[in-house]
Amino acid sequence: MKRRQVLLGAGATMALQGAWTQALAQGKEVVVGAIYPLTGSSAQVGIDAKQAFETALDIINNASPLDLPTAKNAGLAGLGGAKVRVVYADHQADPQKGRAEAERLITQEGVCAIVGCYHSSVSTTVSATCERYGVPFVCADSSSPSLNRRNLKFFFRTAAHDEMFSEAMFDFMDALKAKGQKIGSVGLFYEDTIFGADSSSVQRKLATDRGYKIACDIKYRNNSPSLTAEVQQIKNANPDVLMPSSYTTDAILLTNTMASLGYKPHNIMAQAAGFVEKPALDAVGDKLEGMISRASFSVDMGEKRPSAKAVNAAFKAKAGRDMNDQTSRQFSALMVLADAIDRAGSTDGTKVRDALAATDIPGEKTIMPWSRVKFDATGQNTFASPVLIQFRKGSFVTVYPFAVATAKLVWPMNA
Amino acid sequence: MTASALLQVLASGLLMGLIYGLIAVGLSLIFGLMDVVNFAHGEFMMLAMYATFGCFVFFHIDPVLALPLVAAAMFVLGAGVYGGIVRHAMRVKVNAGMVQIFATFGLATFIQGAAQFLFTPDYRNIGDNGWLGGKTLELAGVYLPWPQIFGAVVSLAAFGGLYLLMKRTDFGRALEATREDKGAVALVGIDSNRVFALGWGLGAALVGVAGAVLSTFYYIHPQVGAAFATIAYITVALGGFGSVFGAFAAGIVVGLVEAVTAVVLPPAMKSMGIYALYLAIIFLRPQGLFGKL
Repeated sequence: MKRRQVLLGAGATMALQGAWTQALAQGKEVVVGAIYPLTGSSAQVGIDAKQAFETALDIINNASPLDLPTAKNAGLAGLGGAKVRVVYADHQADPQKGRAEAERLITQEGVCAIVGCYHSSVSTTVSATCERYGVPFVCADSSSPSLNRRNLKFFFRTAAHDEMFSEAMFDFMDALKAKGQKIGSVGLFYEDTIFGADSSSVQRKLATDRGYKIACDIKYRNNSPSLTAEVQQIKNANPDVLMPSSYTTDAILLTNTMASLGYKPHNIMAQAAGFVEKPALDAVGDKLEGMISRASFSVDMGEKRPSAKAVNAAFKAKAGRDMNDQTSRQFSALMVLADAIDRAGSTDGTKVRDALAATDIPGEKTIMPWSRVKFDATGQNTFASPVLIQFRKGSFVTVYPFAVATAKLVWPMNA
Repeated sequence: MTASALLQVLASGLLMGLIYGLIAVGLSLIFGLMDVVNFAHGEFMMLAMYATFGCFVFFHIDPVLALPLVAAAMFVLGAGVYGGIVRHAMRVKVNAGMVQIFATFGLATFIQGAAQFLFTPDYRNIGDNGWLGGKTLELAGVYLPWPQIFGAVVSLAAFGGLYLLMKRTDFGRALEATREDKGAVALVGIDSNRVFALGWGLGAALVGVAGAVLSTFYYIHPQVGAAFATIAYITVALGGFGSVFGAFAAGIVVGLVEAVTAVVLPPAMKSMGIYALYLAIIFLRPQGLFGKL
């Protein structure tokens, strides 16, 4: 009798202990910071980013049949099934607010890594702060080439930067020229923060190197009430390809002003940003038929990446819109980071950093057209091959590289 | 730059200038009346834009027709803000200036937050669906968008109406008198509180008209007021604080200077022209073009 009681007791204790460790593991959390514009003129970007991260968390924290890293089991296996939680902070497109929020997330919320920040200007200050505290910064969607060239050890960028994007644009134009199209001049039109400055300086260099005339080179004040005089200058120069680098407000205003001044650009080749945002396309999409933009993602990618369709559907259910260039990159950045934390088996900054540096994810295990995710010594994923997409009847189709194109190119946009 | 291109820039600057004047005049009116700067001026305009958008989407009322409705609603809002907030802020005994600044500034932050919460930060647009949207008048190579022509005409009409109101009606005379000497008007039996409330209503209604006009060609967003409010402050300072017709003239000047600067200097520096002009005015004529010291 007594022996049986002891056995029972021991069994019960062991069972309890098991449950206890399991409970402990479940209670254990991995906290990641995300710094985005949640108020201010780019607030919608931040709100969409939140939905993209929540979509990723659903896959990371629950067992999912998708073939993506950390999808299979619930939580992170490397940390005993710990769940990932994202803490959001608002930077209002202000680099100083971003810096302060990064400091707060690291010292008070105890985040083990930070993802951000859309605006390149904010990613600059946030990544510098992360470096100081030895916390990895995964740059999801800021595309200034200068970001990864500051000898930061804790900086990682999963997506392409503007140099890679712009190179693709000029490769594309070269290819069109080889096919007999006449493209003599380009027009640069860019906003006056680091995004526009970096994007345009790359484009200016590429244009000069490859023998395109720069018909106009216009740096404008962002969020201006009017762009009439600026558009008048574009109209006078009348470039064969207009290459704007603009956020949403300016993309809407530029398009409307061009229409009201009776100017139809021969072609638009946009550095994404505002030109692929749903509000801009809803507002002025009818005037942008045939516009080409660089992209990291296109909804019609579904055929080539099996997970992309399911992820897009999950995102759409939350956000009420398709994934775009920004949200797909945000989603992917968090997936890559979760994979690294999982492999590190720790939330220690240096260990996560080392795991990130050792990342090697094949392209099929992402939702992007990337050939793989593998960072070089500067923290740049050099395998993030960009694509060009064309806006046609309300949605985007992939047109370049020609090998992965899903539709025939329409060129020029306006004859 | 060809002659027709220059003409285009000037014409666009003039049209925008008239609209800037219309945006600024409400601010100037309120300041002239009671020495309070309404920092929520841009947010009033934003609310008017959403109201116009709401009329269009839910009741299919074109912005042209919605304009008086929006102005009336904004009048009520403006008078309400005076009665509910500003009147109390003016009553404090210490640091009255600061309290007034923070009262309207806080109101601005609140309205922005509430708008983002209720309307979401998505960009709205009436665009080409309205009567005027996307239509352009071409005159000898110069393109004049109809929404902006409409805006300019409304602006002229509003200033004309305001002139008549100020010079020909008892209310206008009471407004003028209260502005001159609040104590004295109380002695002759004018309720300055009532005049102030009407002044705020009128100021809000005017910026409401501007908002309705803008919504025919500009995007609508909780932050849209900020860019225009900055210009409105400069316009008011340039025209002379409190001078209604100074705001009209200064609006045109600001519109033209902005357009011309964008041609002469790199466009990123186009607001520098306005600030340079403003500084010059401050040195040469501290009271502004039409202001009184």
